Formats: sequence, structure tokens, C-alpha cells
Amino acid sequence: MLFTESEAKKLTEKILSYVKADDASASVGSDKLSHLRFANNNFLTSGSRVGRSANVTVWIDGKRGSASRNDVDDESLKSMVEEAQKIAQNAPPDREYMPTLGKQAYKPTGGYVEATANLSLTDRARSVGDIISEFEKNKVIGAGFHAARSQAGASATKNGNFDYERSTNVSLSVTSRTPDGTSSGYFLRNHFDIAKLDTKRIAAESIKKAMQGRDARTIDPGAYTVILEPQAVADIVGNLGFTFNARNAEEGRSVYSAPGGKTRLGEKIFDERIMIYSDPWHPELPGSQSAQGGIPAQKIYMVRNGVLENLVYNRFWAKQKEKDPTPGPVNTIFETGGEKASIEDMIKSTKKGILVTRFWYIRSTDPRTASSTGLTRDGVWLIEDGKIAYPVKNFRFNQSVTQMLAQGNVEMIGASERVGGSGGGSGASLLPALKLRSFNFTSQSEAV
Amino acid sequence: MSFSRRDFIKTAGIAFGTAAVLPSWVYDAQAATEYYFDVNKSSIADAVLATAKRLGASYADIRINRYRLQAVSTRERQIQNMSAGQNFGFGVRVLVNGTWGFAASPIVTSDEAQRVTREAIDIAKANARFQRKKIELVPTPKVEANWRTPIEKDPFDVPAEEKAALLLKINEAALSVQGINFVNSSMAWVNEQKYLATSDGVKVEQYLIRGNPSFSATAVNRASGDFQAVNSLREAQSIGYEYMTKYDWPAEAREAAEHAVMKLKAPSVKPGKYDLVLHPSHLFLTIHESVGHSTELDRALLWEANYAGTSFLTPDKTGKLQFGSKIVNFVADRTQKFGLATVGYDDEGVPGQEWHLVKDGVFVDWQTTRDTAKIVGHDKSYGCLHADSWGSVPFPRMPNVSLEPAKENVTEDDLIADVENGIMIYGRGSYSIDQQRYNFQFGGQTFWEIKNGKKVGMLRDVAYQSRTTDFWGACDGLGGRSTYDIPGSFNDGKGEPGQSNAVSHGCPTARFRQINVLNTASSPNSGDMEDHD
Repeated sequence: MLFTESEAKKLTEKILSYVKADDASASVGSDKLSHLRFANNNFLTSGSRVGRSANVTVWIDGKRGSASRNDVDDESLKSMVEEAQKIAQNAPPDREYMPTLGKQAYKPTGGYVEATANLSLTDRARSVGDIISEFEKNKVIGAGFHAARSQAGASATKNGNFDYERSTNVSLSVTSRTPDGTSSGYFLRNHFDIAKLDTKRIAAESIKKAMQGRDARTIDPGAYTVILEPQAVADIVGNLGFTFNARNAEEGRSVYSAPGGKTRLGEKIFDERIMIYSDPWHPELPGSQSAQGGIPAQKIYMVRNGVLENLVYNRFWAKQKEKDPTPGPVNTIFETGGEKASIEDMIKSTKKGILVTRFWYIRSTDPRTASSTGLTRDGVWLIEDGKIAYPVKNFRFNQSVTQMLAQGNVEMIGASERVGGSGGGSGASLLPALKLRSFNFTSQSEAV
Repeated sequence: MSFSRRDFIKTAGIAFGTAAVLPSWVYDAQAATEYYFDVNKSSIADAVLATAKRLGASYADIRINRYRLQAVSTRERQIQNMSAGQNFGFGVRVLVNGTWGFAASPIVTSDEAQRVTREAIDIAKANARFQRKKIELVPTPKVEANWRTPIEKDPFDVPAEEKAALLLKINEAALSVQGINFVNSSMAWVNEQKYLATSDGVKVEQYLIRGNPSFSATAVNRASGDFQAVNSLREAQSIGYEYMTKYDWPAEAREAAEHAVMKLKAPSVKPGKYDLVLHPSHLFLTIHESVGHSTELDRALLWEANYAGTSFLTPDKTGKLQFGSKIVNFVADRTQKFGLATVGYDDEGVPGQEWHLVKDGVFVDWQTTRDTAKIVGHDKSYGCLHADSWGSVPFPRMPNVSLEPAKENVTEDDLIADVENGIMIYGRGSYSIDQQRYNFQFGGQTFWEIKNGKKVGMLRDVAYQSRTTDFWGACDGLGGRSTYDIPGSFNDGKGEPGQSNAVSHGCPTARFRQINVLNTASSPNSGDMEDHD
């Protein structure tokens, strides 16, 4: 059901053949999503959906119009192009128009596995049935979500570019709760290759956290040393701080803005061990072969040795500022340039601190400092004298991400692993566990 | 509904217009276009329901839906995007051996409908082997009906360029204020053309319209590196294009711009306990998060435990738990005018209806669907099933949940008059609440200090933290009908795979005593926290 490269090429060529405008870009996409949701130790909903889309953007005398369809028959594609052209004819000039790209050379990145795209319904049902049996055996009430998505699509321009890509992703998240509702554990992993999704480990980690989180005590909110598991890092870093938008920074409305209309490029904003980069060809985290605006993606450092090395210039803003458009990021890899510490090492070295599994409902409170609020969820423990002392109830936090990662506040950094944000979506990053000297919990949360 | 603006907009004395020159590219309106279904949906549906039954389904439904979207977005004096889209397809849901199965496709033909039905049956049967407890449904009456959102002017009959012209006029109004550097504005219109047939005798067609206009004005102090933005206070509604013409959007934009500039210079709030007076443009979201989500029955049944979360409310607390003060009454309502969740029928054919969730401060009832209602022993559903697309599995979603106003004519001034040391908050800001809907923190757009019964000036960096029952227990004043509005949220996320729902929350201006206010700008590591290192 996914478009092959030749099908996608034919469709984009067909769309462009209907275009009478001066310039145009066309894209087609196809996807398949197969999912199973379970809760209360029972199967809840399960489904399959195939989808496809066609889009066109045209420019007539520098005026822009876009239209989309999910039918790809000739009549629909023709009416889509006509609709876009009609919008363009009547639109004001697109002051940010950039001619579409001519032919580009892309280096393929991988990330598509047939077995993920065509998973077996029976195998999946059995695998989730086994997880529910584990819930029952351990006397917890479990819930979770298994989803496999495959996508294939292409974009093409009137000036001769063509870019076809396909990818797969399968994820499983599991929540276990004790029957009295006083403890909850969560674990999530995803991968492009279903063979590498360890469903037993995901269930076991979730159950273990729920069992070990019983009899949580109340302790005062305040500033604590924290150890954030990679999931917690994905949740807080995934939401904030790493947009690296050059235009916002230069317009004075970003955490990367500096007084006087300048930016913080070249400044050591983060701990000097921190490396944040994008690598389209990373074997564990393949990214798209094309970056923003369709330019070929390249490996690019946003932060190197704690220094803000790049901001993202789109094609328009790059031209305004006489710079090259930025060939990324297409994925997020956060690594230490120094020694890698295990979570056990981090616990051992902590006199008093808090171990956090996951964050939830993170929202920006002040974009000037990349500050946000949110809550811990599904497993929080107090560490005393190098050992886990006991589980504690959840907290709300108010914290700046840049201050959290600043020199002097980052004590230890773990090995990076593939993890997805738990706030929805199927994205993934390579992120480490972190030990941070100070993190601000501002109130109690009784929620479990 | 009155389109009169907030009192302080009226007093601003704005007379925008002289700078408004419509661009020459405003052309004649496009021909009115309504895309009727071009397939024989009734015969496809009959065949699907027969096949599902033959293959073992105890219940089946099919939804054949077309969605239209028109979106225009701008910044300053330029258009960023003008786009139009259509999306057409169908989804089949089956219940086999007490286990749900679902499949969907954009190819709306008889053959594909048969294939998709078999796929939904296969999924249900594969999972049924491992199912522990069967899903059961409460009954619902047979119905054949047609329902449309009541509107005056269909936004899809208004050309995109007319919409763009209005947005540029809004931007120009904001940019006319000295000190404003940036303004963004946008407008999105959605039309859902929905057909539903079920094996329980439902055949319903609906034509739904909703719109989401918004803008944001930003003032930057480049010397200090500071910046502040103020967003529009009016929110999305189920309404026609009359929303854009009967309300003075440029006037509000100009005022928002003035407030953004004021906010740059406003004093930062001193943390502490304050009495809060909350305008509907702000309060609706607090209702959404703390009341709307906590009274969803699927959350209480742990169905959302893996994602959106559960609820501090549980079935045994029904009719017993003191949710708020005695003046607090919340009504769930799928019939409320302008409500984004207002429909004729839900996605399993249950008619739109109205019922109390909280009565005289006591939690009394839930939001239900045919499967969740059965579990708590109800004999009917309140009609809360919804899917955001033909390709999505329908599941429990929030109806409009509204706070009833005072019966007397209490004004905003009356509520403020009784406040010695307080803050009045307008607009939706940053908002965050825990997974059981208990501990929350909300910010806003503009904050006005109240001293001895009067608004005395603007504050900034305000957010308040509370617990749901403490907060609603602290409500001691409600405005009357004259302060009532029905703002809504266009995209409320829930479920796995994640789905979006549009929902409104009518409310009057309301007063809350002694709520904990914090300063969101104070440096997190500045030492104003007790250190637990």
C-alpha cells in the first residue's frame, strides 16, 4: 500500500504536469498505521489505517497558494492544482518566496524495515497477551500501547528536484499500577526494526517500577540534586530549548538572543562536555536525507563542547543574512564528550538526591530563559548516602533547561540510548541519563 | 451571543480604520462550494454491516466522512500560508466476541469497504483469543436524521483572500502601536461532513463547522534582550464567518499590542496568596483541565492510564465528593450554541444532550459512551464518543463542560469590589496539570493587580498553583449572565494513537479566594527555594 519510488515519481510528475504556475513543488505521501491499545489488563481498541496524501504549492508572479487532497486519482490531483493556482492568483505577494530547488544529490539514510511495516496481527496479539499475563502474575493493573507505522513519500519541484524516502517505526509503552492505586511504573522504547523492540524488557521495567514505588512518602518540595533517567531527559529536553531557530534569535525572542539584536552563537551556554548534533546516517537513529527546505541533510553540530555552534537558517532567512541554509537538524543526538557514568554510578555518588523516571505535561513558562513547568510521573525515589532510600510522591517542577544544563550544574552524564518522548508522538532521540546538581521542585502532587 | 468586547476594551476608545486600506487583490468571492458525497454511502454501509454480521460481529458501525480545511496565516505585512485541503475516507468498527476491531481506508468503494471490514474482523478475532473481559454496550434508540451546525455564513463560501485581508488588517492595527515589533495572525476553518450507520439502526448525516482565529503581538526590548507577547483573548467556536465580521478583531489586536508594550514595563508579581478574579477567556481552560478531564469516565476506569492519565475521581465518589463550593455547578452539554463539541449525534448515534457533572458543589455524574456507561451500571450513554477522522478509532471525548453563571446580575466590578489584594487574569497562557487532574499551574495573557476593590495596574510573570478541589472550594463569587462567554480549545489531545478534539467551556467571570501565586520569571537557581542538596 505504500508508494514505491516509481509510483511516487509518476504521481509527482503528474501533479507538476497540471501546473501552469511559474514555480511549484509537489509532494505525495502514504502511510500505514497498525495499533493495539490495552488497559485494565484487557484489550481495549485495535485498528489499522492506510492513508495517503497529495500536496501542491504553486507561485504565480511571486504569489503563493497551496492545496492538498487524500485522493490521488487524476481528477482529484487536477482539482487540487486548480485550487492552489486560484489561491495564488488572488493572494498577495509571498515576500519570502524562494525559487524551488533544482536537482539535489541525496545520500540515503536507511530506517525502513519490511518486517516492521508488515507486522503479524497474531504475533502482536500473543505478545500483548503475554504482557497481560505478566501483569496478572505480578498482581498489577497494566495498560499500554503498541503501534507500528510505515511511511513512504516523495517531493518534487518544477525546477527538477526529486526526493523519495521511506521509514518505519514501532513503539511499545507500558504502564503498571498497583491495585490500590498508590504506585505506578512506566517504560517506553521504540525502534525502526521490530526485531530490536524488546517487549519483555519494556513490560518488566514497567512492572518493576510499580512494585518498587509502593508506600511512597511525602517529602518537601525544593531544590534537589536529581538523577534523570533517559526517559525523563527525553521528556524535558524534547519539549524545550532545542529549536535553535536563527530568525527568532536574531529577532530578539529566543533563549539564544543576546542584547543589542545579537545572538549567543559561539557562547558556552552548556556544560563543556555536552555535544548536541544531528547525524542523518546514525545506525541507531537514521534521520531524513533531506533537511529543511529540501536541501540535502548533513551531520551538523548545534552544540559542541557546550558552545552554541549553529542556529538554523532556513533558505529565506539565510539569503537575507547572506549565509548558507542550515543542512539540519534531522535528528537529535545528545552525548557526552567526556566519561560516561551509569545510573548506578550516579546513585552511588549522591549524598542526597531524587531519581526521576519520567516527566509529564511540560509547558513553557518563560521563553526568555527556556523555563518550563511540569510534573514527575510513574516513579520517583529519594537517594540518601549513595543508595535508593525509599519512593517519594510526585512533584511539580519549575526549571530552566539552559540553567539545568549549564556549566557547574551538570555533574554526570550517561551513555546515550534511543528513547522517545512520553508525551505522545513516535519521535526518537539518542539521550543520556543526567545527574544535575540542582533542580527545582515547587510543589507536591498527590497524583499517581 | 453578544459580540461586545471586554469592558476594558470598550474603555480604550479605539477607532481603528484610517490605516486600513484593503489591498487591491481582494477579488470577487469564489463560487460557493459544498462537496456533497459522491458515493452511494447507504448501499456501501448496508453491505458492510451485513458482512460484519455474517463474519461474527455482534455490533458494527461505519463512518464515511469528508473533512475540509482552509487555513490562512500571516506575520506583519506578509502572508505566510494560504492553503485548502480535503480529506475523504471511511472507517469500520466491529465488536467480535466482546473485542473491538477497526480498519479504515481513503478508497471509498464497495470492494475496499468489504476488504476493510474483513480486516477489522481479523484484528478483533486475533485479539479476542487473549481477551479477559468482554466489552458490552448499553442500548441506544434507532434514529435516521440530518443535523447541521447553525451558522449565518458558511466560511467555505468566503474566499481565502478576504480572510487574508482581514488578518493583515489585524496585523496593521497591532503594528500601529509604538513598541510592537512582531505580529502573527491566523485563521483556520474546518468543515466535517459525517455519515454514520450502525448495526443498531442508526443512519445520521451531519454538517459541522468550526473556526479558530487568533493573533499574537510581540514587543521586544533589544537593549535588554527582554520580550513579551500578548495573544488574542477570543477563542475558537462552532460558528460561521459572522464571527469575523461582527466582532472588532483589529480593535482587540491594537489593544493586545498596547498590553504587550505595557507588559515589558510592568512590575513582576510578588509571590504569595492572592484573591483571583478570572475572566472567561482564562477560566475556560482551567475548567477544561481540572473539571472536563477529571469527569471523563474512561480515565476513572484506567483506560487512559498509559497516556493522558487517570482521575482523582472514582466511581465510588459519585454523588458524594465535595468538588467545589455550593455555588459551583458544572453542566456537560453537547447542544450548547457556539460550543465546539456541539453535535446532533455522537459517533455511535447517541443524541446530543445536557446533564450535570457537579451540582451544588457535589460531583454527581460522568461523561459516558455506550461501552463505559455499561461498566458503571448506567442504562444509556450521554453521547461522548468521537473520532477526529474517518481513520481514527472513536473513543470517549469531552463534551462542552460549562460553569453555570449566577442567577443574579453580578458584574465584573461587583466581583472586584470585594477584593483587597488580588489579581485579575485574562487569556490562556502556559498550563500544566498532573495525570490525575489534581495539582495544576496556570498562567495567562494579561494580569491586573487589584487593590482595595479596584484594578490598579498591570503585573507580569504570574502563574497560580492549586489542587482541583481546593481551587473550586475557594470559589466564592460568580458573575451573572452578562459576564458569560463560551471560549473553546480547537485541539485537545488524548488517546493512543493521539487524537484531537475541539471543545468549549462556557463560564462567567469568577472569584477565588487565597490562591497560591508564583513568579515564573524568578531565577530557578537564585536561592529563593529551600535547598535540599
